[in-house]
Amino acid sequence: MSRETALRKPRAKIGPGAIVAYILALITVAPLLWMALSAFRPGAEVFSASWPKHLTLDNFTFVLTEVPFFTYLGNSALVSVVVTVVSLFLHTMCGYALARMRFRGRGLFFGMVVSTLFVSLPVILVPLFMVTRALGMVDTYFGLIVPALFNAFGIFLLRQFYLNIPSELEDAARLDGCGYLRMYWHLILPLSRPIMSSLAVLFFLANWNSFVWPLTVAQSENLRVVQVGISSLSGQYGADYQYILAASVLAAIPTVIVFIFGQRRLVDSLKTTGLK
Amino acid sequence: MSRTSLTRLVPRSRPGESRAAFGFVALDGLGLIVFVALPAILALVIGLFNVDGFGKIEFAGLHNFQLMAGDKLLWKSLGITTAFTAMFVPTAFVVSLCLALLVRKPFPGVGLVRTALFLPNVISLVVIAVMWQFLLTDKVGVVPEMLGGVGLGDVSWLGDPALALPTLAFVCVWFLMGYQMLIFLAGLQDIPGELYDAATVDGANAWQRFWGVTWPSLRPTSFFVLITSLVNALAGSLGFDLVMVLTKGGPANSTSTVVFYAYQQAFLYGRFGYAAAICGLMVAISIVITGALFALTRGGRFDES
Amino acid sequence: MNPPPAPGSVTRRGVLRTAAWGMGAAGLGSLASCASGSGDDIAFWHFIVPGTPNYDKWLLPLIKDFNARHKVKVRERYIPFGDYANGPTLQTAFSAGDGPDVFMLSPGDFVRYYNANALADLTPHLSDAVRADYEPAALASRTFNDRVYGLPMEAEPLALFYSHKAFEAANLSEGDLPKTWDELLDVAQKLTGADRFGLGLETSPGYYQNFTWYPFMWMGGGSPIASDQIHSTFDSKAATAALRLWQQTIDLGVAPTKLRGGGGTDTRSNLLTGFCAMQQTGIWAVGEMKLNAPKFEYGVLPLPTPPGGKQLTVAGGWALAANAKGSKPDAAAQFITYALGSEDPACVKRGRLWNTVIKKNLPVRKSVRDLARRKGDFDDPIYQQFLKDIAPTAKGEPRYPVEIYRAISDALQACQLDGANVKDAAADASEQIATFLSDYKGGSIL
Repeated sequence: MSRETALRKPRAKIGPGAIVAYILALITVAPLLWMALSAFRPGAEVFSASWPKHLTLDNFTFVLTEVPFFTYLGNSALVSVVVTVVSLFLHTMCGYALARMRFRGRGLFFGMVVSTLFVSLPVILVPLFMVTRALGMVDTYFGLIVPALFNAFGIFLLRQFYLNIPSELEDAARLDGCGYLRMYWHLILPLSRPIMSSLAVLFFLANWNSFVWPLTVAQSENLRVVQVGISSLSGQYGADYQYILAASVLAAIPTVIVFIFGQRRLVDSLKTTGLK
Repeated sequence: MSRTSLTRLVPRSRPGESRAAFGFVALDGLGLIVFVALPAILALVIGLFNVDGFGKIEFAGLHNFQLMAGDKLLWKSLGITTAFTAMFVPTAFVVSLCLALLVRKPFPGVGLVRTALFLPNVISLVVIAVMWQFLLTDKVGVVPEMLGGVGLGDVSWLGDPALALPTLAFVCVWFLMGYQMLIFLAGLQDIPGELYDAATVDGANAWQRFWGVTWPSLRPTSFFVLITSLVNALAGSLGFDLVMVLTKGGPANSTSTVVFYAYQQAFLYGRFGYAAAICGLMVAISIVITGALFALTRGGRFDES
Repeated sequence: MNPPPAPGSVTRRGVLRTAAWGMGAAGLGSLASCASGSGDDIAFWHFIVPGTPNYDKWLLPLIKDFNARHKVKVRERYIPFGDYANGPTLQTAFSAGDGPDVFMLSPGDFVRYYNANALADLTPHLSDAVRADYEPAALASRTFNDRVYGLPMEAEPLALFYSHKAFEAANLSEGDLPKTWDELLDVAQKLTGADRFGLGLETSPGYYQNFTWYPFMWMGGGSPIASDQIHSTFDSKAATAALRLWQQTIDLGVAPTKLRGGGGTDTRSNLLTGFCAMQQTGIWAVGEMKLNAPKFEYGVLPLPTPPGGKQLTVAGGWALAANAKGSKPDAAAQFITYALGSEDPACVKRGRLWNTVIKKNLPVRKSVRDLARRKGDFDDPIYQQFLKDIAPTAKGEPRYPVEIYRAISDALQACQLDGANVKDAAADASEQIATFLSDYKGGSIL
């Protein structure tokens, strides 16, 4: 396995590992490509298992013109971006404190964070809706955003990450007279870049694809997010699957872009983490 | 590791450290309490009541928990959740770790490959369900057509009670492997390159480097992946979302996981008290299992012995 | 939301600043959201897809007319059907005491809502003339103790639809159309090919699957409960025979173990694509076909019967109901009768628009049916056939409570898809139903 040293070579070669990776990647995306292809089929052929005779953009035109799809996309973008940015700040602070700072009740607090991992949405949907309603957030952007901010997953992952930071770095900063906030801002946040870019991608995707909560909390049409919008395309007795597929392809574009961007950052920041 | 040495020399808590730490955790703590813990406690308390979903609430004591003993469908669903967890968690763990190792270092198009492996996760579950239903359709779906050549053309992947759950687990692995791969990748990139250099100098081969360097260094990440996917499979939305959109618990209840069963009890049958009691049971089971894992690994720290 | 600013360390203020920034970012967008402002409004939740004729030509004008004539205003909210019928939205709202004032309700849920006192009595808003105008069977399933708790919008009977093309491909003609269960299996076998199934029956567990199976049980005189509503009769010969028929369709390989797309209601994904040559589905398929595939050639036949059985089918349909626990049950009831159950000719016209012009189903009010007949709406031969041959044999969708529904559903799924012994499965379900009936105290089930 020569891959460990490959990083230092000016130009990476295609080894057997790469070939395997190409094949696996192809198998993984094949169903998705099939689906994307079906979005270009005329309605009557959407179920066909054969290669399409001709392709059409009608399905996309329908989705973009007959349905306020841009509103849905805008709502999803707003909610996903705000939740991602705000929760990254909250969770890096919280995860850092849990991993590196000593305070009374830390074990208890961490226990609480971990135990909230067991709480899944279907289990708490009704009480969560009640709490949100009591705070006057039903049918507002706040209702879409605020309950989505808090998740133990991010805190837990960041805490695991911070456990591995060499304490020499902190000690050096402390000798330079850094307070906790400056240490957080100037040392911890830059150090966290790779993990933050991964988390940003995950948070963005989770919120972009969330369905049950937006459906429950947002009632008016101008608050509808894209996943709810897609499901709105199916009727009582069946659906025009070509429209659903076209809408899904459109909805997937931002997430693919975010991921490509996110994983580039992930690789780039590898060289600047200060860990090397 | 060297970092423990300095930590030992400093006093247990620096001045102002506690206050600063409280400041750091305050907002997340408050949010978790209001939007997760409080609803969860409410949900569990509901288990002690008969709640019809239209405002009627009667104290029922442990009645809902006693009902569980005689509920054959609940026991069946517990078995299904166990089987699903046993199929999904190890498979997803091994597959995603292998993928992470495979795409860890750059090669031409590595970004594209990573994106491709992750791509299933960017599509919403509703669409995933529609897509697999197309592909797996009896006789004329793409998969049966392709498998026709090896005599598996008549297999009904979603309609046969013996196969529906493994099929579901397979789709879940396909859906989530890129996600877990990403977490492994982040973990892999935290491993100092010097460790590999040292191991190479010592003449370790790839296999030895993996067990000697990668695997130990990756333990906090592995622990995290294991815990989250375990909890997700047992009591989380993994055993729910896809069931909801793809099989509705069928055929013949063969994919009716506990969370799905509890969901049906609450939202379709209006028995919120009983559903809450079932969820309480699942949370208890998850806590016991993860508690045991935490104890075994000293909270996922491993190395601070 | 923000904790009180305390004169603490720099760190703490920094945290608050960050929080304020975050909240500010969140706040930017929230300006546009609309408050529910429930003052004079009544909320109407439905699954009529915006942009379809049902929505543009029926629902919106109805609400506009009502709002123009009343102080109380109706606000509609669309919820996708899949989520409305199987999702948590409606139930979550009711649980939080925030349920809609007017909503669509299926027979399967009727007893549960009634037993929870969630349904407002519509009787005071309904004139005797209008009550008499309704088909007795359609109103009966929404009535408890002679009080009406929901107004049906339509009756949608089930039948067997078949594709001409598939019949021709199998060298079958109109003379081969199955009349008995044996013939059904035989013809389905002939129609089954390398890439086609002869018969499509619902495979997904749920209220709908039970609904489609009930007529097969009824044909031989079966019923899950005796007329005294105390004893279970599910282990009858008729019920086991119906379970066996469904099992045979899978055992013989003439029906798929999983239908495509939306399942049994969805002809576009199954009958139309040639996946199934025959499909059991409802009258709505006539309208669906006209809208989506006007050139598709198909026919309709009544559900085949068992030896000694009589021809029967089931008719479903949704009803509008008013939330008794809402802030304005009276106004909600008023809206429902305005929409569906008033003597006003405009109401009858609106009924015709919904039942026979936009959708193709059967009106439940005689006046609407007469108007539609006068206007020639039923001239379509298949529609005519439904009206003459199938509708007269239709029973209303039963309102069995969830415990009974679930016992039947489990038995049906086990027999159909898991090869269970039909007698054991029926006996097992029968026992569960008996246990439930022994301490049931709610509203009348039959």
